[in-house]
Amino acid sequence: MNTNVDWLQRSLAIGPELLLMLGGLVVLLVDMWLADDDHPLLPGLTGLFMVGALIWSFVPFIPGMGITPGTIYGMFALDNLTIFFRVFVLTSSLLVLALTTVYIKGRTEQTGEFYSLLLFITLSVILASAANNLIMIYLAFEFLSLTSYIMVGWLRDDVRSNEAAMKYLLYGAISSAVMLYGMSLLYGATGSTNIAEIAAVFANPRTEIVGIFNLGITAAVLMMVGFGFKVALVPFHQWSPDAYEGAPTPVTTFLSVGPKAAGFAIMIRVLTGALGAQTESWQAMLSAVAILTMVVGNLTALAQTDMKRLLAYSSIAQAGYILMGLVANNPADNFGIRAVLVYLLAYLFTNIGLFVSVIGFEQATGSTTIDDYRGLIRRSPFHAMAMVIFFLSLLGIPPTAGFLGKFLVFGAVINAELYFLAVVGMLTSVISAYYYLNVVRVMFFQGDEEDRPLRFAFPLQAVLVITLVGTLLMNLYPTPFLNLIGEPTNLVTQLFGQLPF
Amino acid sequence: MNPYIAIGLLLLLSTGLALIIVLLGAVLGPNNPNERKLEPYESGMVPVGEAMQRLPIRFYLIATLFIVFDIEVIFLFPWALIFRKLGIFGLVEMAVFLLILLVGYIYIWQKGALEWD
Repeated sequence: MNTNVDWLQRSLAIGPELLLMLGGLVVLLVDMWLADDDHPLLPGLTGLFMVGALIWSFVPFIPGMGITPGTIYGMFALDNLTIFFRVFVLTSSLLVLALTTVYIKGRTEQTGEFYSLLLFITLSVILASAANNLIMIYLAFEFLSLTSYIMVGWLRDDVRSNEAAMKYLLYGAISSAVMLYGMSLLYGATGSTNIAEIAAVFANPRTEIVGIFNLGITAAVLMMVGFGFKVALVPFHQWSPDAYEGAPTPVTTFLSVGPKAAGFAIMIRVLTGALGAQTESWQAMLSAVAILTMVVGNLTALAQTDMKRLLAYSSIAQAGYILMGLVANNPADNFGIRAVLVYLLAYLFTNIGLFVSVIGFEQATGSTTIDDYRGLIRRSPFHAMAMVIFFLSLLGIPPTAGFLGKFLVFGAVINAELYFLAVVGMLTSVISAYYYLNVVRVMFFQGDEEDRPLRFAFPLQAVLVITLVGTLLMNLYPTPFLNLIGEPTNLVTQLFGQLPF
Repeated sequence: MNPYIAIGLLLLLSTGLALIIVLLGAVLGPNNPNERKLEPYESGMVPVGEAMQRLPIRFYLIATLFIVFDIEVIFLFPWALIFRKLGIFGLVEMAVFLLILLVGYIYIWQKGALEWD
């Protein structure tokens, strides 16, 4: 066996991750060497490493370079799902980086560490979504959690930022302990931490007789506490409005996209992978969670007066819709999972776009309350129109990305004949129209005597345009986005062996 | 017979037994409270001072840093034991690991976390 070649090819296969790790360390060292905290080299280097990793993520698409699905030491899965989440999280990190450069000036002195952590948190999301082993899943999960606690509490002089970090930490510690207990049950039942091996044990019809089978259901319930916490599903969502409100807004932006993606990726891998045999049981449980999430998220959002809190509850409700895709997934064709991924992608553009608008407004006026948005159409027409399109996308109205996502999710639900779930989804969507369009009403129809025009910094405008184009393009010309996601039938491969090289 | 009946019986019996033991102890045992018994146990010594003291936060910083580099050493021992089996691969892996920790070390040094004042 020629081990040297093995190394090289394995390193090539996980190039984006290596690049991100190296980037985090380099930025940290460069920050120490630079005297100036606002030096443009810091975000520049960070962006360079992210772009490099993003380009490297497309290597498997090059013919001839195609990396066949497999795992690295049974820990790191390399399949369509991993590639999708690589591109997904790197895109969102790049957008968040652009926001950070504007937002962070004057708010903190530790800018270099922030950029370094941004690279590390990106890495952790990729690791979590590629993890193919319970131990790896837990480690990546903790990596992600610890980095996000620190980033939420970044503004050390701000009481609310501290409070947010504390709440996030306490909820996170408990939920990850419960999740770990669930994982230990799975290991106890099957004697393996590898997802494919666990699935093989449960697929054996003898496990029904021994009684191990039901242990898988218990483990699913316990692990859902951890996954639900990351995604902010309803019984585990209490941290999210406080954390979203108190955290620096770029961090909130990332929190609403990155960890959610990681949570769904792990759910897809663990539930459809390891617990594929118990599909009926966990789908029933998730269907209840989805209904609860949509109802509570949307109803609570009605009463919000702060924009960041509104978006927090809205993102809780959106997680409920995304979860519906998983509930309705049929393992034979995986259309439900594809709907989840499409919805996540639509949500990425829409939500980051909305947060850009919020950051721009916060930078210009220092306020995040909805009432202060009145008359925005006269103060900054482009900005207001963009927000309308983002709200329509969250609602799922064409021609926006959200429509495509909702269309596929509801299609999967109807196909699975879960009519009650579909009706609840529709009804709560109608409810959400009230609070989304209420902001539009405030922006358009409530007068303001002093019509000072608002000016946005250049990076914010750039991100706004990118997300706007993404939101519209995904509905008008969805082919490249669907190509990125790949064929639904081979989205999640049962990965037993190692990579063939 | 439903197999769950056995579990129900076990539940009842164990709860009942626990209750009986606690109740018997409370009813039959001698009850003689005094102030000494309420004091926190300090290995038989008379407790000195308050438990809620203010400590300089530097202790925590040093403790955290110590743990990080302590674990580094712990990782080195098993690696050294199977070094021959791992071969050149293990050497490179450990070099990467130590390099990352070295960056951390330089970082805390430069940030002045090792200075006491």
